[in-house]
Amino acid sequence: MKTWKKFAHIDAKTVDEAASILRTGKAALISGGTDLLGTMRFEILPSYPEVLVNLKSVPGLDYIKEEGGMLKIGGLTRLEDIAKNNIIRTRYTALAEGAHRTATPHIREMGTIAGNICQLPRCWYFRIPDNRFNCIRKGGKTCYAMLGDNRYHSIFGATKMCLAVNPSDTAPALVALNARIKTNKGLIEAEKFWDMAIPGSTILAVDEIVTEIQIPTPASGVKSAFIKFAIRKSIDFPIVNCAAMIGAGNARVCLNAVYNKPYRATKAEEVIKGKSIDEASADAAGAAAVASAKALPGDRNKWKIPIAKAMVKRAILACA
Amino acid sequence: MSEEEKNKSGEQESKEGSGHISRRDFLKDAGLVVGVPAIGSVAVSAETAATQAKTGAAAKGTAQSAGIKSAAGPVTIELTVNGGKYRYAVEPNWSLRQLLRDQIGFTSPKDWCGGQGACGSCTVIMNGRPILSCMTLACECNGAVVETAEGIAKTKHPVIQAYINNNAFQCGYCTPGFVCTAKALLDKNKNPTEADIRDALGGNLCRCATYQRHPPAVLEAASKLRGEA
Repeated sequence: MKTWKKFAHIDAKTVDEAASILRTGKAALISGGTDLLGTMRFEILPSYPEVLVNLKSVPGLDYIKEEGGMLKIGGLTRLEDIAKNNIIRTRYTALAEGAHRTATPHIREMGTIAGNICQLPRCWYFRIPDNRFNCIRKGGKTCYAMLGDNRYHSIFGATKMCLAVNPSDTAPALVALNARIKTNKGLIEAEKFWDMAIPGSTILAVDEIVTEIQIPTPASGVKSAFIKFAIRKSIDFPIVNCAAMIGAGNARVCLNAVYNKPYRATKAEEVIKGKSIDEASADAAGAAAVASAKALPGDRNKWKIPIAKAMVKRAILACA
Repeated sequence: MSEEEKNKSGEQESKEGSGHISRRDFLKDAGLVVGVPAIGSVAVSAETAATQAKTGAAAKGTAQSAGIKSAAGPVTIELTVNGGKYRYAVEPNWSLRQLLRDQIGFTSPKDWCGGQGACGSCTVIMNGRPILSCMTLACECNGAVVETAEGIAKTKHPVIQAYINNNAFQCGYCTPGFVCTAKALLDKNKNPTEADIRDALGGNLCRCATYQRHPPAVLEAASKLRGEA
C-alpha cells in the first residue's frame, strides 16, 4: 500500500484555531478524512499539505437537533448517524436517504456531512494518481475529459471549462430541502454553496469551515425523497441522483452528478408545482428537467440524459 | 503498558503456542527481523523533523509556522486494542492499519484496494463503529478502543463459528473485515433482518463472491447471541 508522504498533524481545539492554521495556505482540514486521505495517498493534486488540521478534536460539532423551526446538524455529524436518525428519516427523508446511499457503511461511519458536501470531484482525469493530468481544475490549461472519455461527465455543459460533476449524494437533498450552510464566516444558501474552484468544489474561502447545516422544518403534508442511480447498491458514486421536496403548493427538485454543481431543475419544478403527482405529470416534469441537457461531442455521455429524466420522475413520484 | 510489559505479554503468547510454529507466527517473526530497520527510520525521521523545525522557524520566524513544524514529529498515543493497552510514538502519516499490523502485530486488517477505502478488508471496530483502518490516521486514535478480528476470535464470539458453519468464505482474505463488520452490526442490532445484514456488509468486497453465504452466517450468529440456538 502506498504510504502518505510526510505531513505534520495538529489537533485543533477551536474552529478559530483551525481557521488560523488554514490561513497559512499550507494546511488542509481533516474531519472524516475519507476523501482527503485518498487524494493525499495518491498525490492527485499538484500540491501536498504540510500540515493537517484535525477538526474532530473540536468539541460540540457533532449533533442533530430540531430547534427554532429548523433542523440543525453539526458539521462533524457522521453520515451514518444522519441516515439512522428517526427525525431526519420521517421529516427530512431526502437527506436521510441521500446520506444512506452515500458510499459504504464504513465510510458513512467515518465521513461527516460537512466533508461530504465539500468533497472533490471524481473525474478520472482529475483523480489519476501522481497528478498525471494537470487539468483545469488543478490550475492547468486543459480539460482532458473534453476530448477524452467523458461517459460520466456533465450533461449541462462546462463550468469555467471543467466538465467534472459534483459526486455528493447529500448535496441535492440539501438543495431540495432549501438548507443553509453555516460556516465560521456566515450563512450560505445551499443552492449557492457549490462552485468550480481550484481545486475545490465550493465557494468557501481558504480559512472557511462548515460548522452547521440548517434545514427549515417542512410544513405538514410536504414530502421529500431521494433517488440514486449507480451500478451497485453500495460503494458506488452516483451516475445520476435526484432529490425532490413537494407539497403545500411548492416544489424543489435537484439533480446531481449531471453538472459541475448540484443542478436545480427549475423547469421540472414549474411543471409539477401545484399539480397532483401522477405518472403523467412526473414524466412531464422529468422531460422538462432534461430539456436543455446536451450530450458532449461524441455522445459518450448521452446515456445519462434518459437516466436523469427517470431519476426526476421517480423522485417526484416518491413524494406522492 | 510499558514497552517492557508489552514484550512480556508477547513472550507469553509465544509460550502458549510452544512446540508448534504456525505459518502465521513464522511470517510475523520474519516480519519482525525485517522490521528492525524501520525503528531506525523513525529515529531518523524524528531527527529530520527536528532539523525542519529549526530551518522552518528560522525561515518563517512566526509562532504559527513554528507551531506547525513542532507538530511534524511523532505523536505519542495510547489506545486499547483487543482489551490490551498500548502506548506508541506514531508518525503523523501512519495509518491505523499500519500501526496495528506493523507495530503491534495484529495482522487481520488486510490491504486489498491499496488504501482507497473501496474494499472493506481493513475493517476494524473503533469505539463501536466499523471503520476502515487504512483511511484512519493512527495519531488520531489516542484513547480509542479498537477491536480486530483477533479480538473477536479470542472472545469466542458466535460470529466466528457461524462463518465456519456456513462456509462463508473461500480464500479467507476478506474474512476478517467481514467478521468485524458483522460483529459491529450484531453489537447494535441483536435481531437483524437479511436486508439489514446486506446493507451493513455493503462495504466489504469478496473476490471469491461468497456473498450469498454471509447473511445466513450472520443470522445464525444473531440467533446464537439471543440464546435461541
